Amino acid sequence: MDLSLLTTEIVTVALACFVVALDLLMPAGEPRRALGYLTLLGLAGIFVHAFTQYGLNASLYGGMFRVDDYAVFFKQVFLAAYMLTILFSVRTADGFAPYTGEFYGLMLFSLAGMMVMASANDLVTLFVGMELMTITFFVLVGFNLGDGKSSEAGVKYLILGAASTAVLLYGMSLIYGYTGTVVLPEIAARLSASPAALVGIVFFLAGFAFKIAAVPFGMWVPDVYEGAPVPITALLAMASKAASFAVLTRVFLTAFADAPYNWPLIIAWLAAASMIAGNLAAILQTNVKRLLAYSSIAQAGYLLTGLVAAGPDGVKGIIFYTALYVFASAGAFAVVAAVRDETGSDDIAAYRGLARSSPLLAAAMTVALLSMAGIPPLAGFVGKLYLFLAVLEKGWFWLALLGFVMSMVSVYYYLLVVKAMYLGEPAGAPTADGCAALRWAALASLALTVLCGVYPTPLAALASRVAQNFFQ
Amino acid sequence: MAAIGLEHYLTVAALLFCLGVYGLLTKRNLVAILMSIELMLNAVNLNMVAFSRFITPDAFVGQLFAVFTITVAAAEVAVGLALIFSIYRDRATTSTEELDWMKW
Amino acid sequence: MSAGFPILTTILVAPVLGALAIVLLPREARQTVKYVAAFAMGTALMLALYCYFAYDFVRGGMQFTESVPWVPELGVTYAMGVDGLSLPMVLLTALIGFSAVFSSWGTEERVKEFFVLLLLLLIAGVVGTFLTRDLFIFLLFYELVVIPIYILVILWGSSKRVTKEYAGMKLTIYLLVGSAFLLVGVLALYIQAYPPGERTFLMEGLAAAAALGHLPESFQVPVFFLLLLGFGSLISMWPFHSWSPDGYAGAPTAVSMIHAGVLKKIGGYGLIRLGIAVLPLGAKYWAPAIAALGVVNVLYAAFIAISQRDLKYVVGYSSVSHMGFVLIGIAALNVVGISGAVANMFAHGVMSALFFALIGYLYGQTHTRNMDELGGLAHQMPYAATGLMLAGMASLGLPGLISFVPEFTIFVGAFARFPVLSVLAVAGIVLTALYTLRLLANVLFGPRQVRFDHLPDTGGPALVPLVVLGAVLVVFGVFPALLMKMAGSGVAPLAAILDGIALAARMGGGL
Repeated sequence: MDLSLLTTEIVTVALACFVVALDLLMPAGEPRRALGYLTLLGLAGIFVHAFTQYGLNASLYGGMFRVDDYAVFFKQVFLAAYMLTILFSVRTADGFAPYTGEFYGLMLFSLAGMMVMASANDLVTLFVGMELMTITFFVLVGFNLGDGKSSEAGVKYLILGAASTAVLLYGMSLIYGYTGTVVLPEIAARLSASPAALVGIVFFLAGFAFKIAAVPFGMWVPDVYEGAPVPITALLAMASKAASFAVLTRVFLTAFADAPYNWPLIIAWLAAASMIAGNLAAILQTNVKRLLAYSSIAQAGYLLTGLVAAGPDGVKGIIFYTALYVFASAGAFAVVAAVRDETGSDDIAAYRGLARSSPLLAAAMTVALLSMAGIPPLAGFVGKLYLFLAVLEKGWFWLALLGFVMSMVSVYYYLLVVKAMYLGEPAGAPTADGCAALRWAALASLALTVLCGVYPTPLAALASRVAQNFFQ
Repeated sequence: MAAIGLEHYLTVAALLFCLGVYGLLTKRNLVAILMSIELMLNAVNLNMVAFSRFITPDAFVGQLFAVFTITVAAAEVAVGLALIFSIYRDRATTSTEELDWMKW
Repeated sequence: MSAGFPILTTILVAPVLGALAIVLLPREARQTVKYVAAFAMGTALMLALYCYFAYDFVRGGMQFTESVPWVPELGVTYAMGVDGLSLPMVLLTALIGFSAVFSSWGTEERVKEFFVLLLLLLIAGVVGTFLTRDLFIFLLFYELVVIPIYILVILWGSSKRVTKEYAGMKLTIYLLVGSAFLLVGVLALYIQAYPPGERTFLMEGLAAAAALGHLPESFQVPVFFLLLLGFGSLISMWPFHSWSPDGYAGAPTAVSMIHAGVLKKIGGYGLIRLGIAVLPLGAKYWAPAIAALGVVNVLYAAFIAISQRDLKYVVGYSSVSHMGFVLIGIAALNVVGISGAVANMFAHGVMSALFFALIGYLYGQTHTRNMDELGGLAHQMPYAATGLMLAGMASLGLPGLISFVPEFTIFVGAFARFPVLSVLAVAGIVLTALYTLRLLANVLFGPRQVRFDHLPDTGGPALVPLVVLGAVLVVFGVFPALLMKMAGSGVAPLAAILDGIALAARMGGGL
């Protein structure tokens, strides 16, 4: 057994322990920003190392843990999400003293959980990775001690998360009972039509629809996003969603691919409901975090269309879109963090005049939001093009049409934020400009979003290669 | 009387699961809700162990799974109680009716 | 210039470079900003004129072509080229863009940002849609212009009957939702045309697929409908027209000029280039519906224009009405009608831009756009009055001005196919005369009003649009061949396609 395949996970966990230990060793009064930068550096190292894992396609623990291109790609997406998040959260993390070290440590543990999820090739590994991620997020969502909203969000997330886990597990137990195995490829070989398999698949899908925040299982999203600290909201939106999509796609395309049920139709309904409900509900919001929460429900709908297509093109769309959703969200949440840190508010009103006090942040926010809406030449347009091309190819005409129309409807509420930033006069006191690290995160998000939109070829080529993973 | 078979275990587990869901939906106390979730998780454990015994008697996959579930459930409850504690300190209540600082 | 010089890319890049230069200027250099903008647009105009006169319309087809693979995996090519369809539109964009810079000379607030957005994104985006031969890039440029327009309207627009925020949002959402239908149609076309691996977004490639019979009628009919929704909302086809008057009323002068003058024309251009050339059977199916809606446009909008008091609304509804003529010309599905439609788009572009430029000037001086509060301005502003007269006369199709021949051509073409509808549309010209003459009479004539005595006439930079656009109105009116030959050469290649569907397909569309 080649443990070097586990380098990314092992180093992440080691880094987490190291950060927590270092935090204990540092004198109480000293600033903790170094911990953040250290974490960032460590993650950058892991990110670079992950490039060497492409093309390995190896298994560990009797096929329970796969290090294939697909897993490596998603690990890099998570790493990118965490690096960008840490960049813009150093100042927020200062506010968590004396628990700054724990904050970074827990973040890293949740990252390790996601990595396990990306590689999981059987239900047990999958479950353990997912719970590592979820339980750390329960803690992190409630991390704003003394802020009632934060702990309220934590409890809500915990109750609904644990309940969805129970549903998911029940589904898993039925699938296991019916097929007698938990390894995904073996499930695929033994699955046939039966009530147990059907209930199992439906429960599994319901459990994961919760994680990816698809309607009607995503009603936790607005409250949790609003109450959680901004960096955690960002991670829930990008990394947690990406990890859940990684699992969902792998399970449905390996274990359930040939199941004798028309599951793409069910997923198409979920996708349609998410796109409609998410976008329409977002229009009514006045709080930017809640707005982004509903928009993330809609984004889950777009991503699900890639799963409906159930083929290399669809997977490629999911992969590509996940990556650029991370880029765009990082920019948007960086700006939310800046405004939150300096005005203490997430209301759209707090964004008035941002374009004057900080043109960079306003530009980053605009580009991020318009990319989510799918306006060319930003990355979101190309991403949606890949996703909807894939479903159109399979004849899902109405779904693609709905997707495009709802994307354009979403421009309405994104533009409300843009309007406040450019048109409104600053409410009074100094408005947000963010610290240097935060501005770097915003700049990186802006550059990546524009770059992937104007010249998508490199990322698309990588995505195509990775998407072949399940279809050889 | 026939021997107790797989279907009996599954029925009990399903009932237990439904009981948990019922509690989850009707209880107004956070601790009671956590207990309901525990019921659901235990239904899963029962399923797993029964399947392990009857379907794959040679492998211990199901039992292994159950062990993991128990561990994870314990962790979840630990975090859950801590969060409930923090809520209680804020508002001196553990009722879900009071979780209304944000629009639900 | 050598054959290898990428002249079309230069037309596209000139405003972008100008905008980059402006970005680098200090905020205080307000005057320099305007000079740079004028210079950049002047360059683009010169190059467009050069193309127009150097284009070999005997040979026809795409000329000045450039082609660089861009996203090979999707079959996207950075392909440029102009023919008799797009060249008038390119020239129109350059003319109006150049004039718009001078119409905005009086901008006071955030001068730098205004010219950057206007030049960099709006004009470059619009001209890009006409220059490209690749459908993907066409869509990209088209959606690219929507957001700058929104920002231009909400920042520099004016609130009268509707607030500028409302106007901007309405315009943006209409156009974007329309474009969603367009996108689906285009993607369906892209998938259907070729099997995976051979796919292309090149318009000539898609047209070739249609010629090869890859696009059966059962496919063309629904896809053409989607395109019609998209392009129809862009060209303000009834019932998707209501963004247009509100949008123009809220927008700053330069945006109204570009929007009414060129952006709308993308709809008509797309219907011809994509609708007829690639989906001829679909076009034939929907032609009666298009013609009927075109007549509704002409009459309905003209009636509303008659009841309007706000100058911008009159011109806004008049532009909706005029687009009805274009739709009828396209629906005629014969070479005469379509070349009339192309020429009329050019004519209306010049005329409406001149209208909006002068209304903007009048509003800037008198601070009102209500025609009841104006009057007798011909006494104080002879130049502006001349301009308005020119635009007005062109609008009602006076012979000797630019619109006469194109409109006449449209009716000749359309009468062959839809005699009743054509007669109804001709009746629209009477209504046009009614509201146009009333506008001119109310604003320009009547007794001299003392309170306007201190107002200066158009002069300096504000005279530039008047001279440039007015000259085009007259020159192309006196020498209609300048325009008609070009349009004719652009439409000529469609003749074979149109003959092909004359017998083959059935008509439908509910009429």
